[in-house]
Amino acid sequence: MAKNFDIYMVGVGGQGILTIADMIMRASEALDVPCNYFPTKGMAQRGGFVKAQLKLGQETVGPDIRPFGADLVIAMELCESLKALRYLKKGGKFIVFGHKWMPTDVMLGKAAYPSVDEVKDAAAKAGVEMVYIDPATLPEGAADNIFLLAACLKHSSLGDIVSADAIKNAIVTRWPKGAERNIMSFEAGLKA
Amino acid sequence: MVKKNLSGNEAVAQAAIASGVKLISGYPGTPSSEVIGSIWKKEIPGVTVEWSTNEKVAFEEAGACSWAGQRALVTMKMSGLNVAYDSMISMVYSGGVGGFVIYVCDDPGVAAGMPEQDVRGFATMSDIPVLEPSSVAESYSMTAYAFELSEAIGGPVMLRSVTNVSQSHAIIDIPEIPAIAPREPKLIRNTLKYTKAGAKICMDQHQELLDRLDAAEAKLHADGMHQLHLGEKGKLGIVSVGAASAFVDEALNIVKEAGMNVDGISTLKVACSNPVAHAEFKEMLDTCCCFVVLEENEGYVEKSLYLDAYKADKHPHIYGKEDHTLSRIGSFNAMTCAAAIAKALGGELKVDTKQVAEAEALCSARPIGVCAGCPHRGVYMALNEAVKRLGYKKDDVMITGDIGCTILGMSPPFHTLWTEVAMGASVAMAQGFVHAGVKTPVFSTMGDSTFMHAGMPPLLNAVQQNTPITAIIMDNGWTAMTGMQVNANTAKEFQQNETKNRVDVVEIVKGLGVKQLFVADPYDLEGLTKTLMEAAQLPGVKVVVTRRECAIQAGRRKIKYGKVHVDQDKCVNCKICINKTGCPALVYDGNKVFIDNGQCNGCGICTFVCPKKAIIKEEC
Repeated sequence: MAKNFDIYMVGVGGQGILTIADMIMRASEALDVPCNYFPTKGMAQRGGFVKAQLKLGQETVGPDIRPFGADLVIAMELCESLKALRYLKKGGKFIVFGHKWMPTDVMLGKAAYPSVDEVKDAAAKAGVEMVYIDPATLPEGAADNIFLLAACLKHSSLGDIVSADAIKNAIVTRWPKGAERNIMSFEAGLKA
Repeated sequence: MVKKNLSGNEAVAQAAIASGVKLISGYPGTPSSEVIGSIWKKEIPGVTVEWSTNEKVAFEEAGACSWAGQRALVTMKMSGLNVAYDSMISMVYSGGVGGFVIYVCDDPGVAAGMPEQDVRGFATMSDIPVLEPSSVAESYSMTAYAFELSEAIGGPVMLRSVTNVSQSHAIIDIPEIPAIAPREPKLIRNTLKYTKAGAKICMDQHQELLDRLDAAEAKLHADGMHQLHLGEKGKLGIVSVGAASAFVDEALNIVKEAGMNVDGISTLKVACSNPVAHAEFKEMLDTCCCFVVLEENEGYVEKSLYLDAYKADKHPHIYGKEDHTLSRIGSFNAMTCAAAIAKALGGELKVDTKQVAEAEALCSARPIGVCAGCPHRGVYMALNEAVKRLGYKKDDVMITGDIGCTILGMSPPFHTLWTEVAMGASVAMAQGFVHAGVKTPVFSTMGDSTFMHAGMPPLLNAVQQNTPITAIIMDNGWTAMTGMQVNANTAKEFQQNETKNRVDVVEIVKGLGVKQLFVADPYDLEGLTKTLMEAAQLPGVKVVVTRRECAIQAGRRKIKYGKVHVDQDKCVNCKICINKTGCPALVYDGNKVFIDNGQCNGCGICTFVCPKKAIIKEEC
């Protein structure tokens, strides 16, 4: 029996955050690691808050991660990452891809949007270990969600539960046609 | 044993098929839609799978299928049962022959909108069993069991799931389900059972209904469906049901890690709130000094426990909703459950959320928006403009809203819609505002699927009564908000197969006797504005059907309506385009406004609002 590992994921609809969760689930299936994956898409078709909760390593388990219960947070949007802090264990890994998906009011200068430093400060106060992935490091033409997934393998102990090879296999199996681009994104993410 | 990666909803569909179901009917509604969504195009031999016009129709079809001796499954979200309940209450009194499973998803914590109601109240009022799966695996096993139970007692069984179970995906062991022999339909003439004409008939049926519930209670007990683990006498008892049951083990671990003694605690995970697990309750009451009842939303199990304790002349403290230990609002997690258990053990679990609450306060609000290129945007903007040009203030003109994506017109930047009640309510409520004496024009708005579902009777009413309203039907060709299902108005090429028909919403409106009918293009903002102004000034019933396919669905087929760009020489950065359309394809980067071509489908609505004519649409 693998040890328990809970992942809380946040982003904005259309970013591909649920795809990250799906790949982890497929890898866990191949490795016979118990997994419960609970996506919440909300009401908006595009551009709304999206979250996913993954519970790995437990046979019978409630789908929701309790406050301060997650081992890892994966955030694909800078501002939305703050909503996940409530669910991350003290000392847990807080991996944030710094993409900014600005709400209209922010774009119009009517509402504030947190800076990277503000998010880093909030993470420090919450006692979690933040890993900031700068979108500028994304290679030309790479898929950001696959890149981020690989970065999570590098920066957290996710790889102890589902190996990089298993996730890579899941990606290739899922998109046989786009394998080249996705593997490029994945390999780049492992070095991010 | 075979393992499969399934969602809770998919598990229900697969288990129903394995159980020999003949008909699966339903109406889309998050979080229940994937039961039918996952098998709709699969062409399963001998099984009819149908998106019905509404839940009541779906329910009646499934009920009749059961009365003909076949197994049937009907699916819907909790709001759907409100629609189907008229038939449900009648059909449960008659019972059934073939296994009849009513699958309904509640939404504690409200992930998908609509009242946070608890449909188990309907099961209690109907005196039918309601099985409550706590996991994806139980979604499978309880579906199969529900058919067996339904046939054993001769009446329908409700299977009640919740968002975090129905939408969860898990890798589950697929249990063997004994195959049933193919059945020929039977026509059973028995008016004493299948009609309600007469007091004796109805009261006999009432008795039979209560007998069926007693039979269900005995069978659930005999089959060991309630999981009872008795601990030491005089210690705490935990009674849980549904999704809350899945958190008990983790909650006990939290309490233990906090230094509290959890030895000797008894647990009872009941399979259902109705029928009451009296036998198991008795054993718990004989063993435990006090109780925690873990149950999301309403306290049906908890109240039954109070009643059984009273009848047994016992007075244990019950920690739950009645003593305000737990809330009737929202969904649970392991910490919610652990805090209640800790309280019952005389301890306290403290979670300090001050730091994270401060972090959350930094988040920018992300209101529910309208997709780039959405045709509904044109309707909201044209309505706002028409109201203005007619010389009214926005707060003087009632525009009722309805269920589905069309309600997004309540959001910024439009603030067009005032109300959202129930499927089809917008048209009837518009009439009510007229009768209330409102002298300004009254509009209603609804989508095509909502019109098919429940919009026809109120429109017929308006025509008969000749009540002056302007009803707008926003026809995007899909049941969009629930994840793109078809309805009767969806184009023929997207129907389930070539034998299915499309029924044009415009033809229905004509058939309902509407004489003043307009069909308009929501991408033509100026044209639609003028149409709405004209309609508003006419007497009697006016219907405006606005037609453009859902931008998401058209986008999946790579349809673009033009190429839009901002002429940077003309643009003065006034941002009126962003302010008025709220379109996510319009971007301001701090220096200039430009079009995100990845999102833009070329609808061109923004070109109408630019005061400098700096946004240009070219045909592509």
